[in-house]
Amino acid sequence: MGKQLHDTICEESIFSSIFNKHSKDLHNFLYYKFGELLNPKDKVQEAFIKLWQNCSKISPDKAKSFLFTTANNLMLNEIAHQKVVLKHQQTKPKTYTNENPEFLMQEDEYMQKLQKALSNLTEAQRVAFLMNRIEGKRFKEIAELLNISTKAVEKRIYGALEKLRKDIKEL
Amino acid sequence: MKREILISKWLDNDLNDQDLEAFKNLEDYDDLVKLSNNVKAFKADDYNASEELDRALKTIRENTTTHWFKPAVRVAAILAVCFSLYYYTTTLDTTISTDVAQKTTIELPDASIVSLNAKTVLSYNKKSWKDERDVELNGEAFFKVAKGSSFNVKTTSGTVTVYGTQFNVKQRNHYFEVICYEGIVGVTYNSQLTKLKAGDSFLIIDGKLIAKEKEASSTPSWLNNESQFKSLPYKEVLSEFERQYKVTFKLENIDINQLFTGSFAHNNIDIALKSITLPLHLTFSKTNNTVILKRE
Repeated sequence: MGKQLHDTICEESIFSSIFNKHSKDLHNFLYYKFGELLNPKDKVQEAFIKLWQNCSKISPDKAKSFLFTTANNLMLNEIAHQKVVLKHQQTKPKTYTNENPEFLMQEDEYMQKLQKALSNLTEAQRVAFLMNRIEGKRFKEIAELLNISTKAVEKRIYGALEKLRKDIKEL
Repeated sequence: MKREILISKWLDNDLNDQDLEAFKNLEDYDDLVKLSNNVKAFKADDYNASEELDRALKTIRENTTTHWFKPAVRVAAILAVCFSLYYYTTTLDTTISTDVAQKTTIELPDASIVSLNAKTVLSYNKKSWKDERDVELNGEAFFKVAKGSSFNVKTTSGTVTVYGTQFNVKQRNHYFEVICYEGIVGVTYNSQLTKLKAGDSFLIIDGKLIAKEKEASSTPSWLNNESQFKSLPYKEVLSEFERQYKVTFKLENIDINQLFTGSFAHNNIDIALKSITLPLHLTFSKTNNTVILKRE
């Protein structure tokens, strides 16, 4: 009992460590799921403020799922499920210096197709796939974040890959 | 090894050297790598955890100072709603009304007694009763007023003021009658005050003051389930009849301004109809709720 009393999120140091541990993942999760238009950073803030307000009722090991659920709901309250279009960085690292115009055009076209194909994925597929490809997270880590099985993560990511390739070919 | 497994392993960063060779030999190896590399351009915005933490902590500190404030506001709001509801309901006028063929007797907060005749509305305010005894009347009622400060009966035709007495007020369309049975009553009509002593009556029909002889009885006749008329236009008799019995009259060739003296009872429609038709040599025929009156 004594230990539990001590271990509440109401302690600022514990709150901070939870923040450092989960906020980035939470932000990326929201970003890949809903895009940047709905201010994922602000939703992360709101979710953590809510965690603080309820700190006495939530044990630290429940904090992660509370945060993900809360932030997700905050997002859902705002959107009417519009299509998510992720923006890509304009300053792409250049690997070739002697690119000819035709190659550049092809590259540009490819990126547009990819952007469209990404927005055609389901939210679940997109989140898992981008966390894996961009954030370099392994299946197991993603499974823990999303509270699903590793197998399900694998299925989502593989499914996303197949769908992307098919879409890009067709577009 | 199957292509699917290879790709999955590649995705999970789980290829050993041998697998890697096999993966590189897949025909769509180039496509996969290209896709994987290009997807990286969709990276999420930079996220600075420590900066964001500072922001969150700042908000939290600002909020905690006002924490006690929120519940206090809620309590205050609930109290305000309760109070206004209480205030609203207690200051609301009390209204008593009777329908056709219905009579009732009520007691006012000061033990004064009011009997309401059919189709009458009376309203008063319980809250301000101590300060001013005001009732609003639309219809006919008999008052037995307890002694006390002045008692006002307000009607659309005029105001009746009393000082502990018994009197009857009748206010109908174009008809305003006050009869005093005991004590003194003041009637204000067109801002002119007339004082009535016991037995006096005050009658206005269509804006004209009509003189009447002294009233002999001690209570209005309608309290004994009877309507009495002394030299009153026949239309007043008929409209009173319609209020006591649920009927409508259809008149054929009848002078409604003819004066009528007589009475009818409230408990037997056939006898009542006879008592208002025979003296004027009229015949009546009754179907459902319609009564047709004809000259003989």
